[in-house]
Amino acid sequence: MSDRQIDEGELHALVDGELDPARQAEVEAWLSENSDAAGRVARYRAQNAGLHALFDGVLNEDLPPVIVDALAGRRQWLPRSAAIAAGVALLLSGAVAGWVVRGEVPFGAGAAVQIAEATPPIDTQELMVRAAMAHEVIGDDDLHLAVSEDDNSIGQYVSTRMGTKVRVPQLASLGYRLVGSRILPDTGGPAAQFVFEEAGGARVTLYVRSEAARGVDITYALADDLSMFYWNDSQYSYALVRELEDETGRDALLKAAKAVYRQISE
Amino acid sequence: MSTDNKRELLIAEIPRLRRYAIALLRDRVAADDLVQDVVLRALDRLHLWRDGTNMRTWLFTIMHNLHANDMRRLSRTADTQPLDAAALSHGTPPEQESAVELSQLSNAIAGLPTAQRQVLLLVGLEGFSYADAAEALDVPVGTVMSRLSRTREDLRRTLDGENVSQIRRIK
Repeated sequence: MSDRQIDEGELHALVDGELDPARQAEVEAWLSENSDAAGRVARYRAQNAGLHALFDGVLNEDLPPVIVDALAGRRQWLPRSAAIAAGVALLLSGAVAGWVVRGEVPFGAGAAVQIAEATPPIDTQELMVRAAMAHEVIGDDDLHLAVSEDDNSIGQYVSTRMGTKVRVPQLASLGYRLVGSRILPDTGGPAAQFVFEEAGGARVTLYVRSEAARGVDITYALADDLSMFYWNDSQYSYALVRELEDETGRDALLKAAKAVYRQISE
Repeated sequence: MSTDNKRELLIAEIPRLRRYAIALLRDRVAADDLVQDVVLRALDRLHLWRDGTNMRTWLFTIMHNLHANDMRRLSRTADTQPLDAAALSHGTPPEQESAVELSQLSNAIAGLPTAQRQVLLLVGLEGFSYADAAEALDVPVGTVMSRLSRTREDLRRTLDGENVSQIRRIK
């Protein structure tokens, strides 16, 4: 027996095979005469055995699709990432909090409008956050914008970058001038932002991102200082965004959303 | 070592990354989401991994950093739900571990602070040496050892019914 005292840490080091052989023999000899400590060591070993019993099954599972995709360099959007993206958006703008559905959102007579759920599905939240961020961060930035007198060439530009045909919404008759368009990075590939301007100078942006169809009708959502109508078709999801406005302004935005829907999605 | 060979090494570690992430987060979707990020980042930085160093430690370091970022970003971290032990375990558990004991262990782990759970799982489940655990968690070896001692003893007291907050064992 060694004169050296055995400390608690060495009991764990024994369990974990971290002692050199000579010291290990000493500790084991000491334990044979100290049943209390020996009992604790047995319990620590049982904890390890329990961990393996609980979790080793995972080792034999097939890799889930999300990991197979990752190995191919593709990212899937899962709740953890969406929560993080939402957190980032909150940090950036401080305004995208609480897409609350206020029970009474006043709309003009006869306008049947679907209102967003308090907790929309993840892909919808992702659309909302992306569209709102794009609106707030670069909606009024004209420097990095594809601009042309000819809407067709803008359509050409966007379609090429998005990989499929995207039609440019025509909203001039409703009082919106197309300022230009830009391509933005998004998780599922490129997304497009169309920037419109009202006669009064206020900006309205249309965000278009690739997304599997979920058949969402035109729906209204309200943030602290943003109004949004969103929907999707078989190829893309869309969000039309504007600063929060009064009842008349909301009706105008709804009209614009319906016009875009008819022109692009139908 | 060729990129293909490095890739093979990475793929071989994925089951362990998943086991650890599931045990740590106690949420399979969140765990696979985290592992997906580890895989994407590791593939992106495979050229930075140095031949001859430990691929496993490198990957767990990436996971720890990503997880730490998550914790920082999410102001409110929904605390973990105790997982159903039966849903986790596949095959027959060792005889000395009854389902009830496993379930108690599972609940007790869920109640641990993240830093303690990390050390317990890296060493006790993944078999990391103290030095490798220290590297993966970016803390001194002494911290690994003291956290491990405290965590195991806390767990033992909880499971043996010695903690005041626990239900008293009926004799």
